[in-house]
Amino acid sequence: MAEKNYAKPGEFSTLEIMAVCGAKAIKNGENVFVGTGLPMIAAMLAKRTHAPKAKIIYEAGFIDSNAKDLSLSIADSRLGYKAAAAIGLIETLGILLQGGRVDVGFVGAAQIDEYGNINTTYIGDYENPIVRLPGSGGGNDIVSSAKRIVIIMTHQKRKFVKKLDYMTSPGHLDGPGARKREGLLGGGPSLVITNLCQMDFDEKTKRLRLKTVHPGVTVEQVLENTGLDLIIPEHVPETELPTYEELKILRAIDPKGIYLKKDKK
Amino acid sequence: MVEPEVEDKRITLKEAVKLIPDGAELFWGGFGFQRPPMAFAHELVRQKKRNLHIYTCGSEIDIDILAGARVVSKFELAFFAIEGIGLCPNIQRRIKEKSVQIEDYTNLAMALRFLGGALGVPFMPIKSMLGTDLIRKYRFRKNKLKVIECPFTGEKVCLVPSVKPDFSIVHVQRVDKEGNAQIDGVIGEDSEGAKCGKKVIILAEEIVEPEMIRLKPDSTVIPNVYVDYVVECPWGSYPMMVYNYYDYDMEHILLYYNQCKTEEGWQKYCEEYIIGVENHMEFLQKIGIKRLMQLRAKKPFGY
Repeated sequence: MAEKNYAKPGEFSTLEIMAVCGAKAIKNGENVFVGTGLPMIAAMLAKRTHAPKAKIIYEAGFIDSNAKDLSLSIADSRLGYKAAAAIGLIETLGILLQGGRVDVGFVGAAQIDEYGNINTTYIGDYENPIVRLPGSGGGNDIVSSAKRIVIIMTHQKRKFVKKLDYMTSPGHLDGPGARKREGLLGGGPSLVITNLCQMDFDEKTKRLRLKTVHPGVTVEQVLENTGLDLIIPEHVPETELPTYEELKILRAIDPKGIYLKKDKK
Repeated sequence: MVEPEVEDKRITLKEAVKLIPDGAELFWGGFGFQRPPMAFAHELVRQKKRNLHIYTCGSEIDIDILAGARVVSKFELAFFAIEGIGLCPNIQRRIKEKSVQIEDYTNLAMALRFLGGALGVPFMPIKSMLGTDLIRKYRFRKNKLKVIECPFTGEKVCLVPSVKPDFSIVHVQRVDKEGNAQIDGVIGEDSEGAKCGKKVIILAEEIVEPEMIRLKPDSTVIPNVYVDYVVECPWGSYPMMVYNYYDYDMEHILLYYNQCKTEEGWQKYCEEYIIGVENHMEFLQKIGIKRLMQLRAKKPFGY
């Protein structure tokens, strides 16, 4: 294999390195459940690099989508381009996902706790919420039943919290064995990608653990922006840099920078 | 040989909306940006319907308009937002003033509730929601769901109640006058959603001759046996999209989103584009043929 031609820090944006991290979380031949935004771009990049046999599934009913244009909605007609099938929601979320055929699902989160439990429904009190967020959609279905889950979100103290305002989707609940006890089929969250770092989950405790920091980011910075008890291993490597090839493909996927906006200076 | 006579279920949009009494329960079709019954929403507002109860998976501007105009007081759904843009501005306000209540499920849960209604069974089992606040918290439906141990395997499973709404409202690409509805592209939950309704109203971009349907019966998603009324409604999902017919109008969606951030802005939008026009045709004239032509789908891409 040819040696990787890495880009230098400053030659890519934070969103670009996040998209590359997302792509690397997909293995060749896997069935991937994604939404719009960065996950869509990550999956498209994976298909164009190391995972050409991955199948991208969108819950509205697109199976093995090969969209050439970016879309805003998971039901966007654009996702039907060169798809293997356009069917319905019981097929995607029911037969494919709950039926155990989805390897990896991508979701976002407004809040996450140390077991990877997710809130996308309410900020504030359930009776008198400050903000009503969109809700589960297919999010809870995906996080309940996909074999593993990748969470992509922005890294802020108010989003990485000790206690969620509302638990929309099940991470590892209250620790090891909890998912099985509750009857959940999928493996739960395995990776969290943010604008600062990547985190995985400690096998023993199922608690969130720092995995890599993006170039130029320190462990202290991560901790300053985290409101929960994050496990910090002794050695935290830097996130692998994107290659020029990956950046070229990413910029062809999103030439207008709809999702891969440049960093604010 | 004499051909059997075909039943004619065609009525106008105004007539269809007149059928809906205040307080009725509706299945609401479309998924995300795809095929929402927008024209039907506008006419519900014009006819000042009140206290409707809507069941759907995920909807966007269409149900935000219904909340804004105080047509709907209860939703059972999984998702609402204007995807890629932001939160639904009107629903946000109506929740704060407690004039709209939302019972939360997941997309699969709602789709299975519709399938259960269509199948004539009282509930459906699902392996989602377990262990989360979707199980622990409810808003107005005391029997929102139930977690049991499977009588066969002993594993935990969640049961969701089936739904049989008074009406199912679904917008499709084409239908014949007898009610054979064909959908191009993704179906979302509209097949089960249509079939669980006590009365089914199909809105369509085109009413085609029965021969056209019967040349390709494999494209029929909702056959005549389920359907009570048929409404011809071209551009009926504008400013959202209909696969093979037209793309969404991002300019108008942004205009809606930005203007409706305030109550005054919403009232102005409603007056200008909904109440202030006589019917769907006048609304389309207001948008203008030039704009609509720009949005027409390109072959073979469908958008």
